[in-house]
Amino acid sequence: MQHDDPRNGESTHRSSKKPKISSQFITESDIRDEFSHHHPRVARINNGSFGSCPGSVLAAQRHWQLQFLRQPDAFYFNSLRDGITASRKIIKDLINADHVDEVSLVDNATTAAAIVLQRIGRSFAEGKFQKNDTVLMLHCAYEAVKKSIQAYVTRAGGSVIEVRLPFPVNSEEEIISELKKSIDEGKSNGRRIRLAIIDHITSMPSVVIPVKELVRICRAEGIEQVFVDAAHAIGSVKVDVKEVGADFYVSNLHKWFFCPPSVAFLYCNKSTKSSDLHHPVVSHEYGNGLPIESSWTGTRDYSSQLVVPAVLEFVNRFEGGIEEIMKRNHDQVVKMGKMLVESWGTNLGSPPEMSAAMIMVGLPSRLCLNSEKDALKLRSHLRDCYEVEVPIFHQVPKDGEEGVRDKDGFITGYVRISHQVYNTVEDYEKLRDAINQLVEDGKTCKMLFKE
Amino acid sequence: PAVARINNGSFGCCPSSVLSAQNQLQLQWLRQPDNFYFNQLQPKIIQSRTIIKDIINADHVDEVSIVDNATTAAAIVLQQIAWGFAEGKFCRGDAAVMLHYAYGAVKKSVEAYVTRAGGYVIEVPLPFPVSSVDEIVKEFRQALRRGKQNGRKVRLAVIDHVTSMPTVVIPVKELVTICREEGVDQVFVDAAHGIGCVDVDMKQIGADFYTSNLHKWFFCPPSVAFLYCKKSTNNSDLHHPVVSHEYGNGLAIESAWIGTRDYSSYLVVPKVLEFINRFEGGIEGIKKRNHEYVVEMGQMLVKAWGTRLGCPPEMCSSMVMVGLPACLGISSDHDALELRTCLRDKFGVEVPIYYRPPKDGEEGGVVTGYARISYQVYNKVEDYYKFRDAINQLVDNAFTCASLPIS
Repeated sequence: MQHDDPRNGESTHRSSKKPKISSQFITESDIRDEFSHHHPRVARINNGSFGSCPGSVLAAQRHWQLQFLRQPDAFYFNSLRDGITASRKIIKDLINADHVDEVSLVDNATTAAAIVLQRIGRSFAEGKFQKNDTVLMLHCAYEAVKKSIQAYVTRAGGSVIEVRLPFPVNSEEEIISELKKSIDEGKSNGRRIRLAIIDHITSMPSVVIPVKELVRICRAEGIEQVFVDAAHAIGSVKVDVKEVGADFYVSNLHKWFFCPPSVAFLYCNKSTKSSDLHHPVVSHEYGNGLPIESSWTGTRDYSSQLVVPAVLEFVNRFEGGIEEIMKRNHDQVVKMGKMLVESWGTNLGSPPEMSAAMIMVGLPSRLCLNSEKDALKLRSHLRDCYEVEVPIFHQVPKDGEEGVRDKDGFITGYVRISHQVYNTVEDYEKLRDAINQLVEDGKTCKMLFKE
Repeated sequence: PAVARINNGSFGCCPSSVLSAQNQLQLQWLRQPDNFYFNQLQPKIIQSRTIIKDIINADHVDEVSIVDNATTAAAIVLQQIAWGFAEGKFCRGDAAVMLHYAYGAVKKSVEAYVTRAGGYVIEVPLPFPVSSVDEIVKEFRQALRRGKQNGRKVRLAVIDHVTSMPTVVIPVKELVTICREEGVDQVFVDAAHGIGCVDVDMKQIGADFYTSNLHKWFFCPPSVAFLYCKKSTNNSDLHHPVVSHEYGNGLAIESAWIGTRDYSSYLVVPKVLEFINRFEGGIEGIKKRNHEYVVEMGQMLVKAWGTRLGCPPEMCSSMVMVGLPACLGISSDHDALELRTCLRDKFGVEVPIYYRPPKDGEEGGVVTGYARISYQVYNKVEDYYKFRDAINQLVDNAFTCASLPIS
């Protein structure tokens, strides 16, 4: 197994098309080795939440960590900055950004949201925005982002519009039409929409959003800035920031791009007036631009930001590189989703073309999943009693709307299954059988105890 | 192994038994992250917080939050001040007071959150070299008086417990008392170098906020710090700037989840305590011995070089400023950095250097450069001999900073 020794502070970056030295692509057995640190008996079908990292990248990370511990001062003065710049350059190429200055590395999308929203909050506080100018977000935006809006926008006097997305969803048109309705609402009474936050791939329930189209609509409707929260995007869908056209775009590298926890990139379009964007943890680098501010937020372990070159090497061991990985994950997760739907007699939450490496699969209505609490109970039960790890979503039936039914009742629960390179068909069969067992035994969520 | 590492103060150190424990925790997460998240993470953070609470003599574990480092803690405290201005609780021109030798990041944080929001910042000039705590107390009182001029209120005082460059132990307890007497709203003690280096007793010191890095002198891996917030109605509005779904559940809970991260450094505190208690006298014994040895080494160096210490022994902790021979001609911050690089690259000595500009009226031959030497349990006397000899060699070769290449 290759152990990638990271180069020590060199600033050369590798293009994503690396010439193959050997004709040997990664094998199934290699993949098992790389992920041998995963719990062997757990059907881990939740790559979406916390991601995964192969052994060779972990080894590269350990190497960086030991370098720091060995002689931290020399590392700080001679290696750290160049190492981070090398990672940023690779990302810039991957996402088709114009300039490496547009790329900052931060801990995670949650941090990126705080950076963008803190600035919005300041604009309200400093009177640049009027009270009640709006920020627009999706109703199913990630909870941390919603709270960040509360902390920085609502608190500073801004108002918030939520775009209600239908779920299950049948077509992109449904999403586009809801967005247009909400934009009208946001602009009513002479208000300006200062920022739209649009997920590229929503978290729960998970659906791929037509971001390019939505950003275009936002521009056409005069929305000042657009922030795309693409936490799940890189490594699961194509990421081309120029094509998407947003002012800000963030994606976690530890979810689908094999980085260790945790690291994300925040792209800030150079033409946006983003000179006033700051990392909230202020260091001596304050005022030197967000990428530099983010590269030093006090003494920390920055090793996860430094292993991007090693990740690229890993990804290029796959025939077809990251594109092939994405395609295979997508094909497999759809196939597995359909397999579960057939076995349970339920439905997919979105058409296959609106999913990436995750998909929502309806749970049998007989489980009587009627609350968030039920969803959590079922999830714990699957983990503790069946060694299946999968997140569960409770679908609140809309007033006056006909929900989706299976043969016994309304479908109110969905599992979000993920597929990453380490998954096997057996993982999903385990989930299939566990649910079938519960239904056979006449169990409902209320009856489940946490063992 | 070949480096004389006499700079524990900057980045700290971590014993391998603790690194192993950290590695175990990291592997646990990687093995089954969901299970770790739901069942292990929070209880383990509470365990670390409880240990810290006991060590620092806080009343309640709710008062103890764990964050990445003192830089983050400063942002937390100062952001709250910014809101005070933005929401009209404070008047434009209300003041914040900080020491002239406050850490660079803290000064910038004050600029970002206080100056920008309309606050007026006062810096307390501190003498260096310093001969007694009275000199510090006097300057501080004067600065507070300035802060209160023109009907201003002093909303926050930021006081270092142990300044960074140049390093001096500040009489925090006394300064906090003065702040209370003078009606300062809130006092924030930046004790980045505190725990494991000086006595850290929250109730005795009496500040509203107190932060210290655990990776500097308390053997934790990079990086982890605690922020103590005294329970009071005055400061219930503290938030971590990275907002997660835990927003509103109290700072300690907010700080325990700021998105997917490697929290392993937050979790090894129990293991660190085990390590420390293998030493005679535990952390107290370590502190005492570090202090005694660093003073001894400092005095050895000033004797060899014919210079002086930057402060009396009782005003230093496990670090001390040692004057460098004036003939080296250190005449700028740039010179200091270049000399440091030269010591690292040519002599295998790692030590930070401070440039102390000569004051008006000071005669020639005055010491303008000081080395900040640290002593931690891994240091040996040979480290300081190596440094002594390196400087002596430079002096013998008639080296001056003027001869260094201009970069």
